Amino acid sequence: MPVKHTEHMTKFKNKGKDATALRRQRVEMSIQLRKARKDEQILKRRNISMHLKEENPSLGQDRPEEIVQLSLEEIVAAVNGNNTKLQLLATQAIRSMLSRHKEPPINQIIELGIIPRVVEFLGRADNAPLQFEAAWALTNIASGTSEHTRAVVEGGAIPAFISLLSSPHMHISEQAVWALGNVAGDGPLYRDAVFAHDVIPPLLALVSPATPVGFLRNITWTLSNLCRNKNPCPPLDAVQKILPILICLLQHEDKEIISDSCWAVSYLTDGCNDRIQVVVDTGILPRLVELMDNPELIVMTPALRAIGNVVTGTDQQTQAAIDAGVLAVLPRLLRHMKPTIQKEAAWTLSNIAAGPCQQIQQIITCGLLPPLVEVLDKGDFKAQKEAVWVVANFTTGGTVDQVVELIRAGVLKPLLNLLSAKDSKTILIILDTISNLFMAAETMGEAEKLCLLVEELDGLEKIEDLQNHENNMVYRAALNILEKYFSGEETTDLEPQTGPDGLYDFSVEKEDFDF
Amino acid sequence: MELSDANLQTLTEYLKKTLDPDPAIRRPAEKFLESVEGSQNYPLLLLTLLEKSQENVIKVCASVTFKNYIKRNWRIVEDEPNKICESDRIAIKANIVPLMLSSPEQIQKQLSDAISIIGREDFPQKWPDLLTEMVNRFQSGDFHVINGVLRTAHSLFKRYRHEFKSNELWTEIKLVLDAFALPLTNLFKATIELCSTHANDASALKVLFSSLILIAKLFYSLNFQDLPEFFEDNMETWMTNFHSLLTLDNKLLQTDDEEEAGLLELLKSQICDNAALYAQKYDEEFQPYLPRFVTAIWNLLVTTGQEVKYDLLVSNAIQFLASVCERPHYKHLFEDQNTLTSICEKVIVPNMEFRAADEEAFEDNSEEYIRRDLEGSDIDTRRRAACDLVRGLCKFFEGPVTGIFSGYVNSMLQEYAKNPSVNWKHKDAAIYLVTSLASKAQTQKHGITQANELVNLTEFFVNHIQPDLKSATVNEFPVLKADGIKYIMIFRNQVPKEQLLVSIPLLINHLQAESIVVHTYAAHALERLFTMRGTNNATLITAAEMAPFVEVLLTNLFKALTLPGSSENEYIMKAIMRSFSLLQESIIPYIPSVITQLTQKLLAVSKNPSKPHFNHYMFESICLSIRITCKANPEAVGSFEEALFLVFTEILQNDVQEFIPYVFQVMSLLLEMHKNEIPSSYMALFPHLLQPVLWERTGNIPPLVRLLQAYLERGASTIASAAADKIPGLLGVFQKLIASKANDHQGFYLLNSIIEHMPPESVDQYRKQIFILLFQRLQNSKTTKFIKSFLVFINLYCVRYGALALQEIFDSIQPKMFGMVLEKIIIPEIQKVSGQVEKKICAVGITKILTECPPMMDTEYTKLWTPLLQALIGLFELPEDDTIPDEEHFIDIEDTPGYQTAFSQLAFAGKKEHDPVGQMVNNPRIHLAQSLHKLSTACPGRVLSMLSTSLNAEALQYLQGYLQAASVSLL
Repeated sequence: MPVKHTEHMTKFKNKGKDATALRRQRVEMSIQLRKARKDEQILKRRNISMHLKEENPSLGQDRPEEIVQLSLEEIVAAVNGNNTKLQLLATQAIRSMLSRHKEPPINQIIELGIIPRVVEFLGRADNAPLQFEAAWALTNIASGTSEHTRAVVEGGAIPAFISLLSSPHMHISEQAVWALGNVAGDGPLYRDAVFAHDVIPPLLALVSPATPVGFLRNITWTLSNLCRNKNPCPPLDAVQKILPILICLLQHEDKEIISDSCWAVSYLTDGCNDRIQVVVDTGILPRLVELMDNPELIVMTPALRAIGNVVTGTDQQTQAAIDAGVLAVLPRLLRHMKPTIQKEAAWTLSNIAAGPCQQIQQIITCGLLPPLVEVLDKGDFKAQKEAVWVVANFTTGGTVDQVVELIRAGVLKPLLNLLSAKDSKTILIILDTISNLFMAAETMGEAEKLCLLVEELDGLEKIEDLQNHENNMVYRAALNILEKYFSGEETTDLEPQTGPDGLYDFSVEKEDFDF
Repeated sequence: MELSDANLQTLTEYLKKTLDPDPAIRRPAEKFLESVEGSQNYPLLLLTLLEKSQENVIKVCASVTFKNYIKRNWRIVEDEPNKICESDRIAIKANIVPLMLSSPEQIQKQLSDAISIIGREDFPQKWPDLLTEMVNRFQSGDFHVINGVLRTAHSLFKRYRHEFKSNELWTEIKLVLDAFALPLTNLFKATIELCSTHANDASALKVLFSSLILIAKLFYSLNFQDLPEFFEDNMETWMTNFHSLLTLDNKLLQTDDEEEAGLLELLKSQICDNAALYAQKYDEEFQPYLPRFVTAIWNLLVTTGQEVKYDLLVSNAIQFLASVCERPHYKHLFEDQNTLTSICEKVIVPNMEFRAADEEAFEDNSEEYIRRDLEGSDIDTRRRAACDLVRGLCKFFEGPVTGIFSGYVNSMLQEYAKNPSVNWKHKDAAIYLVTSLASKAQTQKHGITQANELVNLTEFFVNHIQPDLKSATVNEFPVLKADGIKYIMIFRNQVPKEQLLVSIPLLINHLQAESIVVHTYAAHALERLFTMRGTNNATLITAAEMAPFVEVLLTNLFKALTLPGSSENEYIMKAIMRSFSLLQESIIPYIPSVITQLTQKLLAVSKNPSKPHFNHYMFESICLSIRITCKANPEAVGSFEEALFLVFTEILQNDVQEFIPYVFQVMSLLLEMHKNEIPSSYMALFPHLLQPVLWERTGNIPPLVRLLQAYLERGASTIASAAADKIPGLLGVFQKLIASKANDHQGFYLLNSIIEHMPPESVDQYRKQIFILLFQRLQNSKTTKFIKSFLVFINLYCVRYGALALQEIFDSIQPKMFGMVLEKIIIPEIQKVSGQVEKKICAVGITKILTECPPMMDTEYTKLWTPLLQALIGLFELPEDDTIPDEEHFIDIEDTPGYQTAFSQLAFAGKKEHDPVGQMVNNPRIHLAQSLHKLSTACPGRVLSMLSTSLNAEALQYLQGYLQAASVSLL
């Protein structure tokens, strides 16, 4: 990332701070302690019988009572045998087991060693029912763990499924789309394997005004998985081919299609600035901002994520999001009843606040300070943490006048209250912010006033208390503020450090000077 | 060392010797152990001994030695040798857990500590089986073993509570959760079941509850960083059980001890913490459980007694309610009038009561009492928690809460009125309640700054506070007296001035109270009242208004210092300082007695200085006495010297480090009072002030520099004539200071004084050296601070010795030096100079270079003439350049150099800012215009042509403004 805010760097406040540290990509912890978030997009999906039947009337012929119960040995024998009828029955039986609601026996099926054979069935253009059953069964195996997906890929399924995309039978090509989505969703390795088999032309060819909504949802979901994952990002040429289709899909009226398209865009913007630029260049930001304001949570969430990612980029990219109107929507999102929305909105705002002071000014002008203070004051803790970042960045990059404006908005009270938060990092950032505030106050000769204000709001007591904090950095930051600003008239020591010496007698060797 | 019986025997003997009281035996044994601890097998020998030794004392000694050995040696520091050989490490890790678990408690504790030290380094990567090994013990059913495991786990995991989130940390936590969360949950459930099966077995219960406490603590650590999936899924189990434990009581677990919290209290207290953690961080998930906890905790509060042992539990519980009631979406849990009333009645009021323990502290441990009550170090007390709850409730329910409490206050006051000597505690509680209800924001400096408008503070003051203070007996009901005085103190900004004036004699009277708290509060209240500001920024209370009370105030203040327990009372000393400062010349008649008392005090405390604040204010008071007296009568300085020098000499001779910087400051003040030649008593001291040992102490540097400056101001010629041999030593000090980035500005203060005051001939021979030294620093380690000071210095030099002298000395050091300094330092950096006086010195100096330095007109330096002028105009007109290069961000630049010493340790010893060019030049812009005019008269045409060729238009415009203002023109 190039050094941003060159303009700021000449001002005193950013001195010594790394501008890149201000902008924070979404915290990409590879380790999570929490439950996987319910509002994230699903990585892999299993095709479960009941569900499928409702959605695909074309599969009406598939009545459960027709499925014959077979033992595992019988299945192996049938699949490996040459009797087409038995092959279909066995594959159907496998598919049926894998489609049951609870605990599908994926491991057991894999252990039968029949996957290569089932993959072979995908190529049986003469036998559409067998192709379909095989595709469905493999889809569900690929929907499991990475281990499971690997079994399918190593069975040679990727090229086979890609061929099936062009099947004359819509339900078969749809199943292929689904299977490929599961494979691509596994991670960058298989995603790129899918790309390597040239998935784009046949996949995109499926999108047309005539495509039924259900099918289109599947395609959109698979596209989103193709856009997903980093290290590395999906290949640029593929992204450039997918983007125009995504732009169209974002205009669709179906909320699930819009949702998955937004997720796709959010993945594409979750990366380096060059990738963000590719998305910005399509001119889609205004539409995304509009969708951020959509009443449907499943649309709002990924649209907000996408815009949130864009503003982790350069000042210009952030400006594009501002020009698209993001600041007009954020107040509502900061006040949203759902904590995760509040949190992501605050995170987005924190990155805008990391920009140059002109952008900070726009934050003020667009009325973001009152909702920001509300989040700090009574938001959910996750949102409060992000709001603390907003204030930290704001006070690092804002002008003195802007910082004054922030204090007038009432930020201090809730900020100081959060010093009793149970999170060391948050406390440290607040302490840094307080230092920033004091530096601004000093330039105006108002440091003493700020001291009183902090004390009145019970902040002094909290900072004093932090001298007992177990975390060393927190303790030192607190001590530093106390020594610098609150030692009052009782200050006794300046404690300068002793320098290198030994120069007690007055003499010196002359050297050549050249300044 | 081999694992042999012989070695075990040797080690046993040496361990025994380390316990010997005789150092002649103990020390060599310790030395020996240290010398062999690097040997292989040493730790294993210790482990063998602590397990198998015949003597218990050796077992314990071996375990302590082992733990200390681990503490010193286990960590592998990069680039340093590994101090424990790998096979020993492996063997220790393989054996220590079972060994710890099978050891008696005394040894178990040492080994548990050792495990956590090892764990901090090795866990989890280098000690992968530790967790499984621990978890397996949960099955043992032996709670002695289980508690050992839990305790070790707690010491391993508690760092999750304060460390920053990181991938590394979370990987570890995840690993711990995967292995530990389920067994811990099962253990939790099993332990609770055992508690009910053993409900009648006191000793079993004790062990089980110790486990539960540890389990609850582990829950807190494991849930701190984020809400783990496992605990979210099992929230029902944990919270339901926590909830029922909160409501549990068992007679067998109640302790007789009034002070020490019992197991039940500790457990409930931890559960409150756990609930508060969830409420704060995982509100969304915890919401369904929260109302139940509110009710349980509230009931807990209603049923918990007044004993000290419940304090932590009660204050934790109240704090939990306080934090919840402020949240908008839980408002409804409290808003019912009955709920509010019963919280007020059953939770708040009882916890505001003045308890026996408070009474004890008030009488026997008043210092601690004052610190808690006055300085707010009362965070964990019940009163404080209750007070926080009042404030929390007032956020949404100020009206109803105030209403409810008004009723209580009235009834408590009525109780008091019925029989004061029995019911005085009711009044105390009433005052506390009013105070906590009324104060919305508070600072030490101003007292209460925002008050609840629903409370009539003045009325309460007049009706209930003043009467107590007016009572003839100052020693009756001391607690109520202290309450009343504190009331005045904190509501001083709310109570009208006329009431404060009425209170002042009452406060002065209470300086005589026997109770330390009462007379301390009286002194503190007076001191605070004296610092209040009225209109025009003057003090609210004037010296004139205090006139009738001067004598009694001073008398009582000094008498208070003789009361038992208050001989070094910092509040009283601060009040003395503040009184002097307020009363000014009206204290002069009392000075002879005052200074005697102060010097006696000084002599007494210098034997063993222990109260830094007291000492500080004492010196401030001395400074004030000197200033106030000498302002009216400069001759009086001699009598102060007479009174003080004896004590000062003693302090310097005995090297009382705490006082030496103060002494230097007072001496500076005294010396500066002298109008004539420096007295010989000072000159005798001069050589001692240059002693390196003094300058090695950083705290001495600012006051010593200040003192030397005073010497130079008053006695430069005496030094030149009578102490010329000390000049190199003086300059040596300058060199010492200049060598340090932190102290170089102090070096410049000294150098500036030398240049300004010393007769030129006395420093002639050193001048070149001085510059070489400065150039050296400039070349090798220049900082912005240094450059700023350097620029001021060379310009001061120029003002004093002339521009030509400056040019000549530079060029004599190295050809073309003058040009280089102009071009590389002065012109580009002059903008950085800050400070009125500093800028003025630079302006006058540069003006001299421009107009009184012939080489600037007729050598190659001429090309620098216009750029220099432009830089000077920039100094006048452009805002100060405060950029500091990035790499300097981290060096300490707090003590920005002013021309005068910025060190203001003693506020009342401070000196006025000194302007060395004051008389010479009034307005530097006009001075520039006049000087340029003079120059152009001397060489007509030259100046104008230089201006017109290269001065930029804007600068030219400014310059024309100066010329106009000076009514001169250039030829």
